[in-house]
Amino acid sequence: MSAPLLNVHDLRVIFAPAAPGQPPARVVDGVSFALDAGDSLAIVGETGSGKTTLARALLGLHPAGSVSGSVQLGGQELVGLDEGRWRPLRWQRIALAVQNAGTAFDPVYRMGEQIGEPLREHRGLSSAEATARAAALVAQVGLTERHLRAYPHQLSGGEKQRLMLAMALSCDPELLIVDEPTSGQDMLARAQVIALLRAICAQRGTALLLISHDLAAVSQLAGQVAVLYAGKLAEVGATRDVLSAPRHPYTWGLLSAYPDMSTARDLSGIRGQMPDPTHPPTGCRFHPRCTQAVDECRRVEPPLQLHNGRRLACHLGGLRALLRAEGLRKTFTTNGHLGPAQNVEAVRNVSLEVYEGEVVGLVGETGSGKSTLGRLLVGLLDPESGSIVFEGNPLALNNGSASRHLRRRIQLIPQDPFDSVSPYLTVCQIVREPLDVQRAGTPAERRERVREALAAVGLPTLDAFLARHPHELSGGQLQRVVIARALVLEPKLIVADEPVSMLDASEQAKLITLLEDIQNERGMGLLLISHDLALVRKVADRILVMRDGQIIEGGPSSQVLAQPQHEYTRALLRAAPSFDWYTTSSGGNRP
Amino acid sequence: MKRRALGFLISLWAVLTLNFLLPRLLPGDPLAALLDPSSSAYVFNSATRASLAEYYGLDRPLVQQYADYLAGTLRGDLGQSIRLNRPVGELLRAHLPWTLLLTLTALSAASLLGVLGGAEAAWRRGSATDKALVVSSVIASNAPVFFTGMILLIVFGARLDWLPLAGGRTAFARYGTPWEAARDYAAHLALPAVTLTLALVGSKFLLVRNSMIGVLGEDYMLVARAKGLSTGRLKRHHALRNALIPFVHHLAAHAGFALTGALFIETLFNYPGMGRLVFESVVARDYPVIQGVFVVVSALVLGANLLADWLSYRLDPRRREAL
Ligand SMILES: Nc1ncnc2c1ncn2[C@@H]1O[C@H](COP(=O)(O)OP(=O)(O)OP(=O)(O)O)[C@@H](O)[C@H]1O
Ligand code: SF4
Ligand SMILES: [Mg+2]
Repeated sequence: MSAPLLNVHDLRVIFAPAAPGQPPARVVDGVSFALDAGDSLAIVGETGSGKTTLARALLGLHPAGSVSGSVQLGGQELVGLDEGRWRPLRWQRIALAVQNAGTAFDPVYRMGEQIGEPLREHRGLSSAEATARAAALVAQVGLTERHLRAYPHQLSGGEKQRLMLAMALSCDPELLIVDEPTSGQDMLARAQVIALLRAICAQRGTALLLISHDLAAVSQLAGQVAVLYAGKLAEVGATRDVLSAPRHPYTWGLLSAYPDMSTARDLSGIRGQMPDPTHPPTGCRFHPRCTQAVDECRRVEPPLQLHNGRRLACHLGGLRALLRAEGLRKTFTTNGHLGPAQNVEAVRNVSLEVYEGEVVGLVGETGSGKSTLGRLLVGLLDPESGSIVFEGNPLALNNGSASRHLRRRIQLIPQDPFDSVSPYLTVCQIVREPLDVQRAGTPAERRERVREALAAVGLPTLDAFLARHPHELSGGQLQRVVIARALVLEPKLIVADEPVSMLDASEQAKLITLLEDIQNERGMGLLLISHDLALVRKVADRILVMRDGQIIEGGPSSQVLAQPQHEYTRALLRAAPSFDWYTTSSGGNRP
Repeated sequence: MKRRALGFLISLWAVLTLNFLLPRLLPGDPLAALLDPSSSAYVFNSATRASLAEYYGLDRPLVQQYADYLAGTLRGDLGQSIRLNRPVGELLRAHLPWTLLLTLTALSAASLLGVLGGAEAAWRRGSATDKALVVSSVIASNAPVFFTGMILLIVFGARLDWLPLAGGRTAFARYGTPWEAARDYAAHLALPAVTLTLALVGSKFLLVRNSMIGVLGEDYMLVARAKGLSTGRLKRHHALRNALIPFVHHLAAHAGFALTGALFIETLFNYPGMGRLVFESVVARDYPVIQGVFVVVSALVLGANLLADWLSYRLDPRRREAL
């Protein structure tokens, strides 16, 4: 096996503090990866994760002393080279198309001169030869002589982006680093740049290091992807695997925050913010934002290592299944006074998983067994067979006390709020009830938690409101009270069974948004049961379709909605309310 | 370009008008001395006094004087000195070349030093060289010319006796070769020129250093480095080339300052330029000379601005469209 073209090991870029006495900025902090000749690797991450800094470090553009570790290009060590040694490497072997092509050109020279400049400097070409080469390059990126003669200010951002690529290719480098080639461009220009890059790499065999937060572009351009978070790699793997089945909680969050033509879910960001490089968190850098962080995460830094075939930096081996149910079965027996006793198999051999911070939509028509499944999961019903594992602990079928403790971390929001609360209790009592049952805290603390829960669902926390009874509330308010009750124990998983079906459309929309916000902020899992596909598609990361007690189809929302496999799903989709314009048989316009 | 030409004409008119008004706002008038019985120049004959006033046009209404002045100036006739009784044009022809020699020499030297020093300091920003250059340029540009001039005179003229103390050339000298002549002129020019250069160089240095630092932080400089260009090319071809654009404008704005500085220094070193002429004319309220000198100075400043416009047009392609 030959050595990779580019081998980066434990690369660090640490900037000296702006003022003495402050900590230095650890912008890139121990990054390792390799890239073979002709291959492509994408580095993705939120803004400020250190992508550009990393790219510049590979060209030795940072001030001396701020870069440590090792970068080997074809076996030659680059870290620590002096400027004189760097010069012949730059552009001839590694070229960089910078993030901001708009300001990347010297305003006082014509484009042709700037594109030809490295050829004259490195290859000793005459002015005429360099211009001829530049013309060929410019043609390759789909531009003309006119663009060659133009000054930078006379060109559009997209044109400059392409000219930047042409310039980067001028000396035919082995490695092309492209920083955000698609940012700030319209869809068409973006598609052209992607096609162009693909063609270039295919024709010339140039290795591509793509820096981007445009995950769609990454999926089209890079074979491998490395996810950078706060200067460290969180997950590395084949692009297809990582983007279709993200395993690190950060990658997962990044993907669900990503607007993509094929996702249906409303966007939700990752809670919290990227830490400042001068004050990186201890342990796992992602722990303040991670929904499944455990104590170890705060103390010990997780190494990037193989977990079930994927390189991840996570103590828990990546995203954990919050809830894993297997082979659940529930049969109801009707003792028919009208006929022989009948068995109704409400839930037949159902297995499902809900991951940390995930919203799973469970859809199906009336009577398909959705609510029964929900009640099994929260322990209101006992299954005949099957197992439920929650946060790694099995829930005993017949409520042991340990299991009761676990169960308070799964809460149900029932379908009909009027059904589920006693009309004689006040708002305060309704919300406090779970706390009373669990005997959690002093009365004063309980009251405080009641107020917090009410505030979280956007209800007033005045004493007058706390003293109201259910009949004094609107449907929407009562449903919020019920949600507050579910939240008061700070559950990890909420099973919401048709939580908004009793409400009008506008109140539905508000409540669903509220649920989504709460879910996102607290990082809970949410199993949303509904017959309304239009509603579910707005919030669900994954959709399960249930029919006759079985789950007949499941997958990422985008996939289920775009390419439903099952006829039944297609029928559900057709039935989902949408505007279908009424037309006369002639199909023409009204007279 | 049309708009620019029009702008030039309007500024020219404004300058000419100001030139006319300003001397007349000074207290007293040119004939005051002739009319003052206690003055040695007192003219006893009242008829003579009136004819004198008439001769110089001072008895006419101000508007009339203004019209005459404008018409004369445009014809190139700057009038007659009241004090010296010689045509102003002739006086200017005798003194202006000296002033120009001094100003242009100092301006070129200051620009060269400022640009080279500023570029180098910015390139080595934060180094000891940079800090030393910044401090000395701040001192140089804030020291009064009077003070630096005096010190130079005392040290190099009086103490060391290397250079002549005053004048523009050795009186009554006969030069065997042009080389000898040049040496004599240069020796006389040295001290005033150094004084003026010192007064001018600081701001130029600081400006070039600042704009160069700005340019060095630009994305295109990073790209130029990433392209593996040589240091010299980075520094001159890209960085300095861009930093010169604001410098050109500064140079134009500073031309007036340089000229007035030169006038002042000329009186200090008794240099034969327009400095003394202006001083004595102001004391004597010799309107035509003051006006003439300021017309010339203003024309020079305006010319410098036009030149700067043209230069920045050459230097900055972004401006070519704007014109
Ligand atoms: N020279 C520097 N000195 C100190 N901090 C720096 C320096 N350069 C960058 N940083 C910091 O390093 C962090 C990462 O910056 P970088 O430009 O690499 O981010 P990025 O991932 O490319 O973001 P984007 O997606 O917005 O381009 C930021 O917090 C930035 O402020
Ligand atoms: S579980 Fe722990 S180690 Fe894994 S990403 Fe979350 S905080 Fe980091
Ligand atoms: Mg960046």
